[in-house]
Amino acid sequence: MRGYPRIARMAIPVLACSSVFAAGIDIEPEIRPGYTPQPKSRDEQGLWMEMNDYEASLKKSPLLIRDKQLNDYATEIVCRVAGDYCGDIRVYLARNPGFNASMAPNGMMVIWSGLFTRVRSEDELATIIGHEIAHYLRLHSLKSWRKARRDFATGSVFTLGVGLVTGVLLPVGESLALLSSLAFSREQEQEADLLGLRLLAEAGYDPHAAYRVWETVIAEESNAAAKREKPGIFSRTHPDAESRAITLRETVSERFGPESDRNAEQERYVAALQSHYSQLMEDQIDTNRYGRTEFLLELHSAMGIDPGLVAFYRGEMFRQRGASGDTELARSAYLIAISTANPHPEAFRNLGYIALKSGDRSTAAEYFRQYLAASPEAGDREMIEFYLEEMP
Amino acid sequence: MIRFRNATVVLIIAIVASGCAAVEQYSLVPHGSRQVGNVVVPVTGAWNRVPGRMLAYARDDAEVWTREGVLLDRFIVIPGVPEGQPIFAQKAESAALPKFQGGMLPHELAELTESSIVKLFGEGNTTVSTDNLRPHRFGEHRGVMFDFDAITSAGPRYRGIVGTAQVDGKLYLLMYLAVYPYYFDKTLADATAQIEAARLAAG
Repeated sequence: MRGYPRIARMAIPVLACSSVFAAGIDIEPEIRPGYTPQPKSRDEQGLWMEMNDYEASLKKSPLLIRDKQLNDYATEIVCRVAGDYCGDIRVYLARNPGFNASMAPNGMMVIWSGLFTRVRSEDELATIIGHEIAHYLRLHSLKSWRKARRDFATGSVFTLGVGLVTGVLLPVGESLALLSSLAFSREQEQEADLLGLRLLAEAGYDPHAAYRVWETVIAEESNAAAKREKPGIFSRTHPDAESRAITLRETVSERFGPESDRNAEQERYVAALQSHYSQLMEDQIDTNRYGRTEFLLELHSAMGIDPGLVAFYRGEMFRQRGASGDTELARSAYLIAISTANPHPEAFRNLGYIALKSGDRSTAAEYFRQYLAASPEAGDREMIEFYLEEMP
Repeated sequence: MIRFRNATVVLIIAIVASGCAAVEQYSLVPHGSRQVGNVVVPVTGAWNRVPGRMLAYARDDAEVWTREGVLLDRFIVIPGVPEGQPIFAQKAESAALPKFQGGMLPHELAELTESSIVKLFGEGNTTVSTDNLRPHRFGEHRGVMFDFDAITSAGPRYRGIVGTAQVDGKLYLLMYLAVYPYYFDKTLADATAQIEAARLAAG
């Protein structure tokens, strides 16, 4: 399991041959553990102060996931990737169904819950975390901030931009022009990719995850219903995933050898995802972006998430899409869901409603009774009982 | 030069004046009953009708009323959404607002509303849950009511109640939402009375 650090240490000098290194860019961290703003760097001190204020308000956000187990799990991965910098980083899990993570210059890392539904393994999650830590270690936010100040000569740009990227301050999707002004440069992204890769490998994670995660992003984008589903915010604030995936695949394969079946932490990752699966998927369903939802469900099915849960949300997705034939597809999915050991109670209810729509009232009644038996405290009990009173 | 400057001033005054004349203002919702489209709402207490220009999300035929200001409370009347259209105005297709489909069942209407409210407050910045779905009769028409809870990332927590019915393939929806707990509780009784007693105009 720990075989990769040694490979990584040997590989880093070789990586210097890549295009970024060839351009003379050093991807060593620019800061040491325990870093604080430089005494004479007033703008950096101001930036930290703003970020500390932001972090103080973030701590009170009702959309933070406060589950200790999931927070401990994420923090453990962050610490494993960050190594000696672990003590400088604070991790916050934000309830947001999009794909993103961000890291502020004061050590505040925000991970969106949608990231958990979009990576297939702990290695892939560690890839994104490593990438963000690399931005932090290279002071990219500070550099972007200084560039933005030069460009806009305003003191409020960064605060707004952080809110957009973290998704906890302002509505996502607004002020894209502002956001793009704060996006890291292509060069910074390449630096973060390579330094992130190094951190990933040194932490003993599979370096091949570094491009797999982007390949998944590309696949999701292509599955989004045409013209009506915006690219995720990460895609909008980061360079082309396709070229990045190709470059990383070539680099990793060359330096670390071919892919293996190794995935030591897969069970742990699936367990972590599954423990919050319903909440994560409810938030995803509420986006009404069923092209993406369908893709994610395929992903989860292949990962080994509880087939009953995946089937239930597949039923929800078909029902929400409402295209020709989707009612029957939803029905089939719910039937799979209730055939499992621990069925989602709402699968019974939705089967009841589908039967009701088709005029099969006795079948509907049976499913409704099963629903109420499985979920005695159901919030729609009065509605279901109303239907039952009208039924034979 | 002076003549040019005078002409400019006159032009600016003319533009401002014409703009003022065209600007829709807040207006008091008269006591008694108010008809929005063919939805008749018995007005309970004092409400102000919000100018349409302030509300990008409101459908052209909808009305939004408020008592304390739109950020604190809103009463929304949406009359007759045709099949295939969202309950809120969709400015861009990429917003992916869910659309009303004929024959939707009660829980589907709750889900439609839930997802629409997520879009209203900002996707990714809001979680919405519905509860207490129950049958309700709007005059001769069968419908449902339900409650919802909206948690926004930086703003306040909202709660709301919804009454909705499908009649002749169209969706009629009344919604009250307000900052929880103070403003929500303050106007809940009046708003509930308005929703429960709403009817479709005869004919």
